[in-house]
Amino acid sequence: MTKVLMKGNEAIAEAAIKAGANNYFCYPITPQTEVAEYLAKRMPEVGGVFLQGESELAVANMIFGAAATGKRVFTTSSSPGISLMQEAISYMAGAELPCVIVNIMRGGPGLGGILPAQSDYFQSVKGGGHGDYRLLVLAPSSVQEAVDLMILSFDLADKYRNPVMMIGDGMIGQMMEPVEFPDKIESPDLPPKDWAITGAKGRKPQVVRSLFLDPYKLENSSWHLHEKYELMKKNEVRFEKYKVTDKNEIIIISYGTMARICQTAIDAVEAEGISVGLFRPISLFPFPQDEIYAEAIKKNIKEVLVIEMSTGQMVEDVERAVVGKKKVSFFGRTGGVVPSPEEVITQIKDMIRKKSKSKKKA
Amino acid sequence: MNNNSKTLFARPEAMTDVVSHYCPGCTHGIIHRLAAEAIDSLGIREKTVGVAPVGCSVLAYNYFNCDFLEAPHGRAPAIATGFKRLRPDMMVFTYQGDGDLISIGMSEIMHAANRGEKLTAIFVNNAIYGMTGGQMAPTTLQGQITSTCPAGRDLNETGHPIRMTELLSGLVTPMYLERVSVHSPQHIIQAKKAIRKAFQYQMDNKGFSLIEVLSTCPTNWGQTPNESTDWLEGNMLPYYPLGCFKDSFAEEDK
Amino acid sequence: MLTKKHPQKWNSPTVKKPINLIVGGYGSGKSEVSVNLARHLVLDETFEARPISILDLDIVNPYFRSREASAELEKLGILPINPEGAQFYADLPIILPQIRGAIQSAQGTLICDVGGDDVGARVLSSLATSFDEATYDMYLVLNANRPFTSDLAGCLKTISEIEFSSRLKFTGIISNTHLMDDTNEDVVMQGISLSEAVCKKTGVELLFVSAEQTILDKINFETIDIPVLPLNRSLLKPWE
Repeated sequence: MTKVLMKGNEAIAEAAIKAGANNYFCYPITPQTEVAEYLAKRMPEVGGVFLQGESELAVANMIFGAAATGKRVFTTSSSPGISLMQEAISYMAGAELPCVIVNIMRGGPGLGGILPAQSDYFQSVKGGGHGDYRLLVLAPSSVQEAVDLMILSFDLADKYRNPVMMIGDGMIGQMMEPVEFPDKIESPDLPPKDWAITGAKGRKPQVVRSLFLDPYKLENSSWHLHEKYELMKKNEVRFEKYKVTDKNEIIIISYGTMARICQTAIDAVEAEGISVGLFRPISLFPFPQDEIYAEAIKKNIKEVLVIEMSTGQMVEDVERAVVGKKKVSFFGRTGGVVPSPEEVITQIKDMIRKKSKSKKKA
Repeated sequence: MNNNSKTLFARPEAMTDVVSHYCPGCTHGIIHRLAAEAIDSLGIREKTVGVAPVGCSVLAYNYFNCDFLEAPHGRAPAIATGFKRLRPDMMVFTYQGDGDLISIGMSEIMHAANRGEKLTAIFVNNAIYGMTGGQMAPTTLQGQITSTCPAGRDLNETGHPIRMTELLSGLVTPMYLERVSVHSPQHIIQAKKAIRKAFQYQMDNKGFSLIEVLSTCPTNWGQTPNESTDWLEGNMLPYYPLGCFKDSFAEEDK
Repeated sequence: MLTKKHPQKWNSPTVKKPINLIVGGYGSGKSEVSVNLARHLVLDETFEARPISILDLDIVNPYFRSREASAELEKLGILPINPEGAQFYADLPIILPQIRGAIQSAQGTLICDVGGDDVGARVLSSLATSFDEATYDMYLVLNANRPFTSDLAGCLKTISEIEFSSRLKFTGIISNTHLMDDTNEDVVMQGISLSEAVCKKTGVELLFVSAEQTILDKINFETIDIPVLPLNRSLLKPWE
């Protein structure tokens, strides 16, 4: 295990190969095109399949077809491209096909911009396409974590027979950091892929489909999917805490690279005697609802501050978690504008000042 | 059955023993059977996977005795591409109607054909949307009445019906493109040959084939089965000429 | 923060031609090297080929480009040439009319920060008629910790890919091996030995080695006869 310096996009690509996905269907879009350029070189080296499709719509359907083989499949895109993929994602969720989709988010809506944003949170965690389904959504905050979560994503997709989405803002895809890859990947015990389409040899024909014309059968299928999502909520909640102590006056909830900016700000205010903790959700679905509640209700916490590179999306899930027990505030920049640590520091200090003022009044 | 008896006609092994949902006089059943016979004659049932469209043949997987994938509307060629690229050892065919293949799925079929995906596309053209109840298709003929062109298709508003096989034959890559019909026994025999050849080319790893099959829709055309075959012959054949538009291996075969 | 004047333990790098193309794989550190080289030359009182301009030719990557340091460089008297307005943020293949002009009538010294890999270097091909051998040098920024330039074979492949797509020939190597914050003196030394091997094989010069000052301080340059460019990082991540 030696460290190499990689762009997030390249590291994600290599991690997929390490996890056993030796095929890649893609369509170019900034800021994630390096995944395609990297794999155009790497796939032939590992004897894999590389194909640039005619659109994200086609590409997502290609991975639908590819997933039906039972092999590990993935694709990557950025916000507008991910919107085009929603059709196949909904079908794959309905047909219970495992796959991994990476969204290196840029500013939206519409064509938006090409700089980092986190404005596809709702689309990722609330469904995105039509129908009663969820994706398991993971959000790394460093290139190394992108590698680790990418490998985990393939295991989780196989475990739950469900599409897994990894979302990173443009910064995750574009920044360069030293990473290391595990020499050998040990997957946990995963269910057999007896649903795969392999030809009706020595068995009855199998069909991969999401069509149930009988409403009672469709309802059963939807409740079956729902049970899987409940199981994910039980087993797959992931998060990280930074400087969370009983001295904290404020707890910040932030994910992805935004959380790293918050860390810098937290270190800075700590030096001035202001204690702030960071709770970073890693799994966005399932959302660490109970864990955030437990932190928020602690006596020392005066206010919960949600910081996102959007106009406020995850904040709704935080409010749901906190159920009105504490004040939840929001700070965000969007459209490709990345908040600086100084802006976060200003937010924190303003909150502290207001709190002490209102105390005096009382 | 004694030893001297000979089976002259039987259900193909590649078809299941169920009653289909197709309307009386609909030719989907014939086309299914031709595909199944081709699969049987090449002995490939156990390594064949079909891709069903959205349209009347959405439930095709119930009638074929082989593995199947059910595609989103128009995307069968993309689904088939993903599958076939990962399993080049398997035989993959798409079964698509005119709304599915030409309208919503124009991009997917053109690009799959142009990449030379080693697939067999069976394209059923009945000049109308069947499943959704008889709306205008890209193949609906001039003046033909449908629920979304109740005064008859107006070419000034909607352009001319698309001749898909001709359009595809403008591409360099596809290997085999033929238009056939199933409105009479002679035509069915020709259609069977074409479908079998398309599967044979896939077995030989030769590239992309598409067989366009002119088909009837008595229910949505508002005709009896017999009237509908006559209508096909009198109206569709003049606009959609039968024949082979491209066969890159025709010389080799001889 | 600029490099403090301190007893020089090494020779400073210089450039010899009016046009200096800084080329390399993605993430080799081209932009950081370009910015630091321009800054070094403008502060080097013995360097006469002025004015010094810096040209951002990175049309493939919208993030971490030398244009982000424009304001700071301008204050030092370096002339930055970038797309303006909304195009500043674009990844459109924008070749400004003044770029060809800047190259053709190069006065003083021009540092060109070119996009990564053969893909990024392709832009040079479109400008190829503007170059002649007497006026340009093309330098490969080499980072031995990048996947495709981690050994001699990989470096030679990258060199031939970039030479093919740019239609220009390399004249030198810049050894800029690093691992971001994990860089240490061993990393830098390994990079130098790979760079020397590439130079030996291809017959081009090793222009200089670059690294952050704190790491350079740990290396004994008395035994190494290569010019050294200390780096002050200008292209930082938002939390740095």
